Amino acid sequence: MTATTSPALDRNLLHRLGIVAVLFVIAGLLSVLTDSFATASNLTNVARQVSINGILAVGVTFVLLTGGVDLSLGSVVALSGVACALFAHPGEYPLFVPICVGLLTGGLCGLLNGVLVTRGGIAPFIVTLGMMTVARGLALIFSGGKPVADMSPDLTGLAGDLGPVPIPLICFAAVAVLSWLFLGRFRLGRHLYAVGGNEQAARAAGVSVPKVKLFAYGLCGLLTGLAGVVLAARITTGQPNAGQAYELDAIAAVVIGGTSLSGGVGSVLGTVLGVLLIGVINNGLDLLSVSSYYQAVIKGVIIVGAVWLDRRQARS
Amino acid sequence: MRLTPRTTAGTFGLACALLATGLSVGCKKAETRKPGEWLVGYSSRDQSAEYTARLGDAVQARAKERGVKLVFVDAQADAQKQISQTENFISQKVDVIILNPCEVEASSPAIDRARAAKIPVVNVNSLTKAAPDCYVGSDDEQAGILAMEAIAKQLNGQGNVLMIHGIMGQSAQIHRDAGARKVLAKYPGLKLLDHQTASWDRAKALALTENWLQAHKGKFQAIFAHNDEMAMGALLALERAGVKKDVYVIGVDAIAQALDAVKAGRLDATVFQDAVGQGRGAIDTAILMAAKQPYEKEVMIPFQVVTRENVDQFLKK
Repeated sequence: MTATTSPALDRNLLHRLGIVAVLFVIAGLLSVLTDSFATASNLTNVARQVSINGILAVGVTFVLLTGGVDLSLGSVVALSGVACALFAHPGEYPLFVPICVGLLTGGLCGLLNGVLVTRGGIAPFIVTLGMMTVARGLALIFSGGKPVADMSPDLTGLAGDLGPVPIPLICFAAVAVLSWLFLGRFRLGRHLYAVGGNEQAARAAGVSVPKVKLFAYGLCGLLTGLAGVVLAARITTGQPNAGQAYELDAIAAVVIGGTSLSGGVGSVLGTVLGVLLIGVINNGLDLLSVSSYYQAVIKGVIIVGAVWLDRRQARS
Repeated sequence: MRLTPRTTAGTFGLACALLATGLSVGCKKAETRKPGEWLVGYSSRDQSAEYTARLGDAVQARAKERGVKLVFVDAQADAQKQISQTENFISQKVDVIILNPCEVEASSPAIDRARAAKIPVVNVNSLTKAAPDCYVGSDDEQAGILAMEAIAKQLNGQGNVLMIHGIMGQSAQIHRDAGARKVLAKYPGLKLLDHQTASWDRAKALALTENWLQAHKGKFQAIFAHNDEMAMGALLALERAGVKKDVYVIGVDAIAQALDAVKAGRLDATVFQDAVGQGRGAIDTAILMAAKQPYEKEVMIPFQVVTRENVDQFLKK
């Protein structure tokens, strides 16, 4: 239970040096191999592209810290996006309505996951697997199987820029900073580590385990809803098929960032680094015109390699 | 939660209730067949994809029109599921099976099983390795040819082109790619600058085009996307970068949003794939087969290029 009472941010940072090194090596290589990687416009571009996966990854960090998992992210992104788009037709509702609908849809899905895990006593893997198909089905039902188009320019403007900074990046950064502060400074944040580290001990120490877990799933759902709204704004439609396998990229980013799949260990900073690594790989492979077949292989090798380096360094 | 007899009984009751509701909502009661009424099984590739959903609707509408009893199932893009569904059709003793195949190779056993049971098979919209009794569809190579010809015409045979593939290895991707390359071979001045998959997905095509704008900004004059979803993604990226006017974009399928975009002068063109024509062709052929009348082995429904000039006639369909 060493990591449970204090998240030990400094030590975590030290552990993440492996990932930082991999990130720098890849970025350095790309700067040499292409003219376009290390330009302001491309880096803004990368930032915009990683934002959705980033918001999801930070959200699912909370769940993974408690020792749970959420496989429903991609489907809930689609459902929230569709729900948001249905209320975003021009001139129908003020801007905050579709945004809130998207957020609440995600939040409700997350809470339901949490209730089933805590009250129902069903394994998170099964609960969120169920939610994955239910949310996908609901997205198809609400949208009639077709993309929900005709969204107001106000809402699609959320994928635009505020000055030189992409708005999705502002959302991601805000989510990351608030989550980092929350996990480090708030009692509930520390309780998340405690529950994931040793549930029995946490309970004995007076932590309400079901409440903490419910909070983690609910918050993860809310952030998934946010990702759904940002995605809908970005592709200017609510797509019932969107978000396929997004949970895998998000969970990969969290694990690259050093969060343990068995709970209790991890940090938002690590997750952000994991998100950046995956984003830079995706962008770089396109810039280098690497064939689609090889892209998949290279991406997988870099992900596993980065985690291996990181763990090796953490042990020494 | 501990499992006590009461909770177990409760859970079981709940499960039964859910199942019953699901059955009553999801399916119609199996009725007995009237004499002379044909029973046809239809397995859709994926009712959650816009084009195949439209094709499914067209098949259902035509079956109703012609008084055919249809068993309609959705393989959800899973070839394994499609094979099981075909086995179910065989045990239901349908007169004809219509397959909208998931995959070229993996869906082939479905055809073999049906033929072994002596039930005729119609493939609609895409091909399988095993030959069906009849193929109703459109030649995807033609879609690639039409799209790339439109680009060649627009650029007067001179310029750089980018191509966005569908999921690699699917029949539509392979043939649209092949068609496009045939045209490229004809025009030495037309160069394929880069090509990459976006798996039929709008968000992926958007990110890919953003990346291309970084790597090849100002160096390409046209984008051919294997479907309209991806063409819309590419269009969004170009519009946001403010360079749409320099790049000609064409997709395939003529989905509603693409037609609206063509009408609004945002998207340059799309290639219309005739879902209604394919659906009608499949049901009409199935009826001929069931009645043991002569039928065509291949019913080809042509693709058509949709531009701003002729978009109105497609918006009505």
